[in-house]
Amino acid sequence: MSEHTTPATVRPSTRKRYKRIAYGLLAAGIAALWIGIALDRFVLGVACYWAGGIGMGLVQRFSPVELYDERDSTISRRASQVTMNVFAYVFILGLPGGLVLEETGVITLPGEFYGATWTLFAVFVVYGASVLYHKYRP
Amino acid sequence: MRNDIRDRRAETDESQADLAAAVGVTRQTINAIERERYDPSLELAFDLAAHFDCRIEDLFDPED
Repeated sequence: MSEHTTPATVRPSTRKRYKRIAYGLLAAGIAALWIGIALDRFVLGVACYWAGGIGMGLVQRFSPVELYDERDSTISRRASQVTMNVFAYVFILGLPGGLVLEETGVITLPGEFYGATWTLFAVFVVYGASVLYHKYRP
Repeated sequence: MRNDIRDRRAETDESQADLAAAVGVTRQTINAIERERYDPSLELAFDLAAHFDCRIEDLFDPED
């Protein structure tokens, strides 16, 4: 059984501070991206955005305290399950429904419909692969 | 799951933040456990029991 790695002296306020730094870096990156686009400095904006994202990851990885505990993981897992269920219904019902409506001449499906369909398909392929990996990993 | 962590904490005069720091979780997690809105992992349950120097079944009641 593994032990919790967070020392007993670590206060939640420290955790909160590092979380704010991490999310602040990402927010700054997103803001820089928008500003870069607005100023027609797209490459610079994307570079700042990447820097913000990487900075967030570095803070999360190397902060001296655990930023997320088991309840955060549980909430994330449940939210992921709900998200996957919602998109499963969208995929299962929406795809044939859309095709039927197009075949019957009710609507003309835009190209985005097929793009979204393939994207959803790719998401479920990755999800299935992940399930298989975690189910059968040694 | 029903538990008497709040009472135990009162006996030892600890805040939620103190207990959270001692077992390595957030104060919000301790609050959620006390309000029976979150069931801790077995590992955390062992840590809580060790902290209060009791058995897990003394802290948590699986009935209800």
